[in-house]
Amino acid sequence: MTVLQKLKNAVRKRSIHVCYVNTGSCNGCDIEILACLAPKYDIEQYGIYVHNNPREADVILVTGGMSPQWIDKLPDLWDRVPEPKAVVTIGNCPLSGCVFNRPGKLIDPPVSKYIPVTASVPGCPPRPSEIISTILGAADDLFRDYEVNHNENKENKGKKGGSQK
Amino acid sequence: MRKVVDVSLPIGPIHPCFKEPCRIKCETKGERIVTTEVELGYVKKGIEKIMIGRPWQETIFLAERVCGICSVVHNTVIVEALEEISGITVSRRAKLLRLILNELDRIQSHLLANYSYCYTIEHETLAMYLLNLRETAMDSIEMMTGTRVMSAYIVPGGVREDLSDENAAKILDATYTIETELKRYVKMFETGPMIGLRSKGIGVLSKEDALASGVVGPTARANGLPRDARKDDPLYLEMGWHMILRTGCDNFSRIMLRFDELFQSITLIRNGLAALEPGKIRNGGDMKAGRVKHTIEAPRGDLTYEIEIDSSGQVVYVSIQTPSIPNIEVASHAMMKNLASVADVTSTFISADPCIACAER
Repeated sequence: MTVLQKLKNAVRKRSIHVCYVNTGSCNGCDIEILACLAPKYDIEQYGIYVHNNPREADVILVTGGMSPQWIDKLPDLWDRVPEPKAVVTIGNCPLSGCVFNRPGKLIDPPVSKYIPVTASVPGCPPRPSEIISTILGAADDLFRDYEVNHNENKENKGKKGGSQK
Repeated sequence: MRKVVDVSLPIGPIHPCFKEPCRIKCETKGERIVTTEVELGYVKKGIEKIMIGRPWQETIFLAERVCGICSVVHNTVIVEALEEISGITVSRRAKLLRLILNELDRIQSHLLANYSYCYTIEHETLAMYLLNLRETAMDSIEMMTGTRVMSAYIVPGGVREDLSDENAAKILDATYTIETELKRYVKMFETGPMIGLRSKGIGVLSKEDALASGVVGPTARANGLPRDARKDDPLYLEMGWHMILRTGCDNFSRIMLRFDELFQSITLIRNGLAALEPGKIRNGGDMKAGRVKHTIEAPRGDLTYEIEIDSSGQVVYVSIQTPSIPNIEVASHAMMKNLASVADVTSTFISADPCIACAER
């Protein structure tokens, strides 16, 4: 591993930018994410910053069970997030639709049908401490040695293509 | 004549200032905002449609999930409507416990609204102070009900759990903590010169517009309109509730009115805790068929449920009128008209405390 890669790992570990997207939740999960900002939980001491801007985010927090308006917009938003990126879903709604998944429903869960999901926090709503520990756990695994892993994947893909020809 | 270029500027649906997705279309003339239009529909879940045809037991927790911020008040109003249909009586202790929980919920909701406003006008220090104070109220709610949000504490006939004397003492302590801290923050907000520049005289809702529209809740009371559903509740009047009004009509008076109401909620909780007597917390009863319309005061204004159930216990008709519906309309058509800059659009919108999840359901 190069010195540059080590430096990148060290910096990325303490700089995770978060954007939350409400795709049809009831607000309950959103206010628990806001509660993470409070000095009691203090999400910024772990190097997690809530910006709510997809173009500078590393981790997207999805709350809600995909209302019809978001079905085309969420993949579009996901494309605009710069690499490396991850999705963490908060609450039961992105997994199963929770109580809203009943006859006559409008939502269309799960969220993993539309964008790749890295981690999920079940609960209605989950506690702020659970949200913080999940973001830290998911982001750490995903962003460590990102360039090394990413380049290897690219080379493997190239080799596969070559052998097929 | 020189031509003025009009630009249509969209704000949202994902925006750093908004907790929930909504889009504000602004027609601008230079830096000045001429008209705005709020576009909703991003969190429509069709809760009323899901409720119809289900047993009434299922509608209680569905109603609770209309809105996460004011879940307690949605729970209260649907349970009280069901009790009214069937003629189930509630003991005095259960009524007082409901009042205490509703006021704790109002404290956390108003603190969250004022946090959002301070965050929007970029006064992050005061915003974080308020958010930290909200955790004290959330801890009290957790102590009383067992969970922070979606507590399902209120059930037909009474409440789910009793409040022990130790926990009552802890809640009383929490009200003193909130009061002493809040006095400091209100002074900071009231005397801050930069806060005054961003708040006073901005987002003015004229008396004519307020009267013509169906504005409710703190937004109406900051305009001097005495609209509060608690004035018809004998228990609230007994606990020393009185109408709080301000006549500033701008962003500043809306936020200050919420601060005033926080102090009143603290007094109501203390009076409620003092009036608690040992007794039954839950009565029984049979559900009957019928139709009823019930209104109580949510943190954002009048919340009305109209519900009809048939003899087999199925919900035939339900209609939820939430306070955010008129408030968002008033904010978009009357308050955000002719603003000096684009930065005032978000702060004016947040000062009306819009809850998109409530408005769309």
